[in-house]
Amino acid sequence: MHKLLQNKKVIGLLTLPGITLFTFAVFLPILLSICFGMTDYTGMGKPNYIGLENFRKLLLTDKTFYKSLFHSLILGVALVVLQHPICLGAAIVLDKIGGTAEKIFRAIFFVPCVISIVVTTKMWVCMYDPQFGLINRVLEAIGMQGLKQEWLGSAALVLPSLIFVIMWQGFGWGMLIYYAGVKGLPEEVYEASALDGANRFQTLMHITLPLLSPVITINVTLAFISAFKQMETIYLATNGGPGDKSQFLANYLYKKAFSAGDYGYGNAISVFFVIACLLVTFSLNKIFKKEKVEY
Amino acid sequence: MKKVMRNAALLSLVCIMSLGAAGCGAKPDTTSTTSTTDTATSETKETPKTTETPKIPEKVTIKVFSNVPDRTAGQGKLEQLLLDNYVKENPNVEIVVEALQDEPYKQKFKTYAASNQLPDLLAVWGQPAFFNPVMESGYVEELKADDYKDYNFFNGSLDGFSLNGKIYGLPRNTDSMVLYYNKQIFEQNNVKVPETFEELITATKAFREKGIAPCAMNGKDRWPIAVLYHDLVIKNGGDQKLMYDALYGNKDFATEPVYLKAAQDIKLLMDNKFFQDSFISADYGAANNLFGQGKAAMYYMGSWEASMATNEAFPVEFRENMDVIPFPVIAGGKGKVTDIPAWNGGGYAVSSNSPVKEEAIKLLNYMMKPENWAKNAWELGVTVPAQKYAEYLTGKETIVQTKITQILDSSTSISATPWNDLKTPNFKTASEDLIQSLAAGVITPEEFVKGAQEAATE
Repeated sequence: MHKLLQNKKVIGLLTLPGITLFTFAVFLPILLSICFGMTDYTGMGKPNYIGLENFRKLLLTDKTFYKSLFHSLILGVALVVLQHPICLGAAIVLDKIGGTAEKIFRAIFFVPCVISIVVTTKMWVCMYDPQFGLINRVLEAIGMQGLKQEWLGSAALVLPSLIFVIMWQGFGWGMLIYYAGVKGLPEEVYEASALDGANRFQTLMHITLPLLSPVITINVTLAFISAFKQMETIYLATNGGPGDKSQFLANYLYKKAFSAGDYGYGNAISVFFVIACLLVTFSLNKIFKKEKVEY
Repeated sequence: MKKVMRNAALLSLVCIMSLGAAGCGAKPDTTSTTSTTDTATSETKETPKTTETPKIPEKVTIKVFSNVPDRTAGQGKLEQLLLDNYVKENPNVEIVVEALQDEPYKQKFKTYAASNQLPDLLAVWGQPAFFNPVMESGYVEELKADDYKDYNFFNGSLDGFSLNGKIYGLPRNTDSMVLYYNKQIFEQNNVKVPETFEELITATKAFREKGIAPCAMNGKDRWPIAVLYHDLVIKNGGDQKLMYDALYGNKDFATEPVYLKAAQDIKLLMDNKFFQDSFISADYGAANNLFGQGKAAMYYMGSWEASMATNEAFPVEFRENMDVIPFPVIAGGKGKVTDIPAWNGGGYAVSSNSPVKEEAIKLLNYMMKPENWAKNAWELGVTVPAQKYAEYLTGKETIVQTKITQILDSSTSISATPWNDLKTPNFKTASEDLIQSLAAGVITPEEFVKGAQEAATE
């Protein structure tokens, strides 16, 4: 058996399905994107080769691209810095509650993730409506009219409003992963630390977090990748508006490729999209590269 | 301890895999708002008939792709009525309709075109930004001009649907942007129906004081604001060729004062909150409903919405009080109230790749016969056809219909296709982004004209 698995031919054969899938689903489309990025294809008619013109235009003159990139990064940071601590806290608290309450709350927290994004986004767009939306009406009812805003219309507030919606939608996923991690933590360590007199804060900082570090790594990486891929919510809510104040990378790509009919340019954006995601993943891996916590 | 770590990692891995599986799961088609039956492959089946007929007509399925999802009112109802009549007269034909709202329709249209799966009969717009690439790439079938000798199309209405002298589509509307208004809201609040731009501003301020949205607008779709800008250029400059010159000729957006003045007029409207608060994220249906439910005093939209006055989904109060005026003139502007933005936009075409081309053209020719489309469109109060309809005047027209006919008949000049649709799809997106940014106050009028010039000369 050992000899069989070491046989190079066998190894090659067994990994072939995976490699084929990866090549055709990932590698070749990226190559095709690079090729189309060098044309002026509009989705109809014939593509004409124009060299690196799209890439040059994108990197040197396109302010909207950099804004979209910036907004995507902000979203990633917001997810990690704002959403994840709440997810982690919720997971830890859920773990402690136990019993049927735990199961009920687990389901409740996970519900937004199960509902279609179209439904939740349109729901939030209605709630944010300045005239008839729930939020402004509640503020009016409790006498805080001064706080009423054009949540999705004002240039300053549209980005935070959308980030909040995205955080709300993804909360369940983040919590679920942390919950799984927390469930896998050993009881003995906590008992030992309690005997040694560690208070709750010390337990959290010195035991829970270090033990959860592989889970945190995964979750943070997922958060950044999903922040970059964020398209549906933006498209359904504001489509990047007003102007490009809430434009995100994936939505900008879609708009350029399909609304503006600039398919070649959209492909150029997608190439940089891939590069940006890879850069982020490598950076995160570097940051989280610590020795495994063992005890 | 290693075991614990391994378990934690395994658990996380399982979670991630389930995440990946859920993410890879096919999402249902969520872009359509109220789409009817989905596409079906066209088949030809032999249907045994009675022994008298020498030829057995084959069963034919024609796929129709429509941009009016509401099949119970307005244009959708008219379309469906004519399609149903055709099926009654031709029992061997089955018609399958797929319908999406405007913007999702355009996106799906491009997807269909790219994958060579265009349905047989298509709704199209005879405007360069939309139709030129479609005609140039050979996606639509050439129609025989002779077929339409007696169809009474208005002069020039077929221009947007033709390329190199060949016809590729038929127009179904004569479109014009008008200012609908709710008489009751004006009367109840003692506001004068504006005849000049200055009175419009006064009316806006008066409505805002009472907490009423002056004008409904679908800012998310952006193109109506672009047409408003075009309208203001006409009303300021008086010359319908101004926009054309800025895009193709010798005029510069950034240096000619008329373009800046029109942009400043838009800013003035915005500063006084002319549109409803949520206009930036309101789509077509939302704005339409706002006006139809009596929550906005005015509605700047095309003449095709005349059917709102007969749409039973809207309250009777609204329908009885719906009226219309052309967009008012501006003091110091050279444009008269009869210099209007009007064009032939909506229409139909047949896919050149269709397996049932001949049948689809037959269906198109049937639908667009004057006694079918033009007559019913007028009598049902649905839209202003692109064919002469004087003989179909019943005397029972709604106020809106009568007034729109007056506006069109008394026009001294028309704009033809609005500026945002005049060039490439790329220019359409760029110009519409600019106008939305101007309307939202994100850029100044100076930055707007500069951006427009850059986009026009790209």
